[in-house]
Amino acid sequence: MFKGMPKIFWIGMLLLYGYFFLFFILEITIPKFPLTKFLGVPACYVYNWLVGLWIINMIVAAIFYIAEEAREARLGQK
Amino acid sequence: MGANPVVIIGALIYFAIMIAIGYFTRKAALNASDYYVAGRKVGSFINGAALASTYLSPASFLGLPAFIFLLGYPFWWALVGIIGGMPIATLLTAAPLRKYAPTSFTDYYADRYDTKWMRLIAGVPTIIAGFAYVTLSIVGTALFMLAILKLNYNISVVIGALVVFIYVFYGGMVATTWSAAFQGVTMAAAAVIGAIYTIAHFGGLNPMTDAILKVTPNFFNCPYVSEKPSSALMGMWTGIVGFYFTWHFGFAAMPYTVVRFFTAQDIKSARRSVFWAIFFGGSMYVGLIIIGSAARVLIETLHPYMSVEGVKDAMGVLKHMKGVYGVGGAAVTDYSMIAAMEGLKSPLLLAVICAGGLAIAMSTAAGWTMVLNVLLGRDLIGKVFGSKWPEEKPVQVTRVMTVIITIICTLVAFSPPALVLDISGAAFIVILCSVGPPLILGIWWDKANTTAAVINIVVMTVLSAYSWMYANAKLGSAHWFFLGQKGGLVTPHQFYWVFVGFVFFVLISLVTKPNRPEVIQKYSYNLRPEN
Repeated sequence: MFKGMPKIFWIGMLLLYGYFFLFFILEITIPKFPLTKFLGVPACYVYNWLVGLWIINMIVAAIFYIAEEAREARLGQK
Repeated sequence: MGANPVVIIGALIYFAIMIAIGYFTRKAALNASDYYVAGRKVGSFINGAALASTYLSPASFLGLPAFIFLLGYPFWWALVGIIGGMPIATLLTAAPLRKYAPTSFTDYYADRYDTKWMRLIAGVPTIIAGFAYVTLSIVGTALFMLAILKLNYNISVVIGALVVFIYVFYGGMVATTWSAAFQGVTMAAAAVIGAIYTIAHFGGLNPMTDAILKVTPNFFNCPYVSEKPSSALMGMWTGIVGFYFTWHFGFAAMPYTVVRFFTAQDIKSARRSVFWAIFFGGSMYVGLIIIGSAARVLIETLHPYMSVEGVKDAMGVLKHMKGVYGVGGAAVTDYSMIAAMEGLKSPLLLAVICAGGLAIAMSTAAGWTMVLNVLLGRDLIGKVFGSKWPEEKPVQVTRVMTVIITIICTLVAFSPPALVLDISGAAFIVILCSVGPPLILGIWWDKANTTAAVINIVVMTVLSAYSWMYANAKLGSAHWFFLGQKGGLVTPHQFYWVFVGFVFFVLISLVTKPNRPEVIQKYSYNLRPEN
């Protein structure tokens, strides 16, 4: 199952799910964690609203296509 | 509250652009390939914007802010889950399916599982989800027509349905790809502008947070560490995790998104399209979180209907609107996002929001209508039942189907059975647990076979649809576990069926006969990136 799937896929999955479950667990174990100030605003605006929702997903998508294009280029050279 | 000329002009400009796109791209739809998959000529930026606007629907634009309005901060994670599912699709299905390059969603099932009847079997849950989505898109279009023209809801439904019908009827996938790309940019810009207006109104994120807490002290409460959760549905971890996963795998397996991978120029373009889809979709969600979070404060402090006798809070405003405009069924809570923007009393802002809302509703309706057109016409009438009609006159067939689909969905839209996000959740769960495993594991597992695919689709379609409807009807919400009780175990949209579906499919595959080696080679091994 999933034979031939590039390794970068599993790294991306680990990053996405690791990020979600890390902050989710922090939220349900530390009282008022989302409202803790970070960079001058409630932390949830940073770790959830900007990074979790948008930035990390663009980074993973970019890593996926860049890694695949590099692999295909290497194959082409061979 | 009457119609504002600025808002009407904004909507007219939007429609003028849409008609222009339809007019200038009509000549491209000269043959079946152009009509169905845009001739596979669409670049990654355009395809990415089109992907975002097609995948994200009124369930996002109206439904997600409405659910944040109802459930509070923990629901933000649902939005993270939706966008988080997009990069996963890059390698899981987008690249392999573009390599395979089919015309229709059911082509893969018929080829990989080696029987034309898979078109019919995989078509059943797709039809259920498709009709649900076209309906909720018409509801969304109608709510924005209501916001623009301040007309009765039923009249707004008819106008919205006509608008959707006309441009799908004349354009096919070429028109919907180009118009959907424009719509992707429009919807993202609208949500971001709405959020900027909202933050500016409060004077920053900190004052906005203080205002939210003043009106809704439990808004940011998380389960287990607060005396009272933000909502009963967010009182246990399954609520947050369930909403996170309800829509999570949709980008990889929902038919109306998967077909957009077919329109990309090549595999490279398909992979890059996902990046741009996240850029546009994610920016829209960034805006929607702010609007949804501030909606209750904006409505209760600024909306003109708060001065109406007997109206005491945001829900009172929405109930009052239901009476004034005759909004049918459950749709009025979906108006909360628009009501919040109305509270800011900027006609220009409302014009932008309405253009964004119309954009997202129309593009989704068009994307799903095309999926249903191809499925009902080319696949079922033509390939399963052997009629020559779809082959000889493909455009005529799909146009006849468009008429039928629009009429049926318009009739349901007059009184929608649930909130748009609830309709969306039901459609996602039915599709993801039934046709999701045979699609994903069909590519990535040689033991996936026809028997397992048939049994999984039939069993999971029945179980997921029944449990969702049972919980919705008997327990008052589709988010309580259907065998439990109201206030018991929270299982949003009965999301567990997605995971059960994959396990069930694997187990059946292990004990049944595999497909022919040449079929597995061609439609499984050969589609993988390293082959």
